[in-house]
Amino acid sequence: MVTQIDWRNELERDGNRVILSGMPITMHCHHYNINLQKTLEETLGDEGVSLIYQASEEASFVGFKSFLEKYGQIKTIKSKLEFAASIYQNCGLGLLHFGLMGPLGGQVVSPSSHHVTGWLAKHGKRDTPGCHFARGWIAGVLEVIFDRPYGYFTIEERKCKLMREEECVFRAKV
Amino acid sequence: MAIDGAKIVHAIMEGSRVRDAKGIIPLFGVYLSLFFVQYYNRLSFSFEKKMGAGKQKEAVRRLIRAAQECGYATFQGIRNSREWEDLIMPMLDSREDQISGFSAIALAFGWGDMEIRELLPGEKLLIRVRDSYEATGYLDLHGTADSPKCYMLRGVVAAFMDLLYGGEYPHGLYTFTADESLCRAKGDSYCEFIAKKRV
Repeated sequence: MVTQIDWRNELERDGNRVILSGMPITMHCHHYNINLQKTLEETLGDEGVSLIYQASEEASFVGFKSFLEKYGQIKTIKSKLEFAASIYQNCGLGLLHFGLMGPLGGQVVSPSSHHVTGWLAKHGKRDTPGCHFARGWIAGVLEVIFDRPYGYFTIEERKCKLMREEECVFRAKV
Repeated sequence: MAIDGAKIVHAIMEGSRVRDAKGIIPLFGVYLSLFFVQYYNRLSFSFEKKMGAGKQKEAVRRLIRAAQECGYATFQGIRNSREWEDLIMPMLDSREDQISGFSAIALAFGWGDMEIRELLPGEKLLIRVRDSYEATGYLDLHGTADSPKCYMLRGVVAAFMDLLYGGEYPHGLYTFTADESLCRAKGDSYCEFIAKKRV
């Protein structure tokens, strides 16, 4: 069963643009990603956190849908979850381990991530969960996998490595 | 020796396929991530909108500062990396050539084709971009703008000058500031950025 993306074919250039599965992407490093997060959190508080979550959810919803349309042979929930995790890893976003997931939700564990690594490198530990991007990303792909509308799932971060936990633990719920 | 942009683009595309066991891409001295431009555009322009008309300038200032600090730290990491030493250093004839190297990397990252139109060492940098993803994103999301919208590139262009002429790292940050005199999101044919010393 194919659950890995063919990166040789999928990551390509179209003139000045970088294209992934037919959609424009950009490469950014932890400095920019973390600066954006800090700017929004410091300026707008919870509203800024929501903007990060929603932007990530929307982009992963649209992007993952595009992936699955190209990889029609991936049909089962299990293989779609594995596929999502492989995309996350290959995009340099980190590792995601999906537990038992269903249309009502489930648990996701992340032992490492770009945003955690980047935040720790720039600012060290923090006292509140900080993986808003990952929460949105997970919500978007689960909505596609379970054929639910955008905004259907809510993802909570129950444990966060930025708060001295060993791994980040997310809970998906309706 | 002229900067071989195609060679740099190729190296980035190959390097970005290398992920360590943790799903992290360490390349050019930074941690890279790949994600849809839609995310960055939605985030920047939603932030600007959420701040409201009264604080729009404040939102723009913060986004540009975030990008300038990023550009400063990122390209400092890049120019101290092994990849820079192996691949790009041999192409550089002068200190000013570093900006050509930075621009080639920015192109490889998918930020746009940063064409250096004018460089007065220590004074002014004029860069033209025909394919900024921010301008494209604004047009797609909101239609024609009434002000320039390429906040990330604006910060990065200023950061290039900070790195070359701002003094010893890390004290040179925000020595320069950049304006976007033309922007495709406003209906101009291309985006144009002018960095000058902050007064």
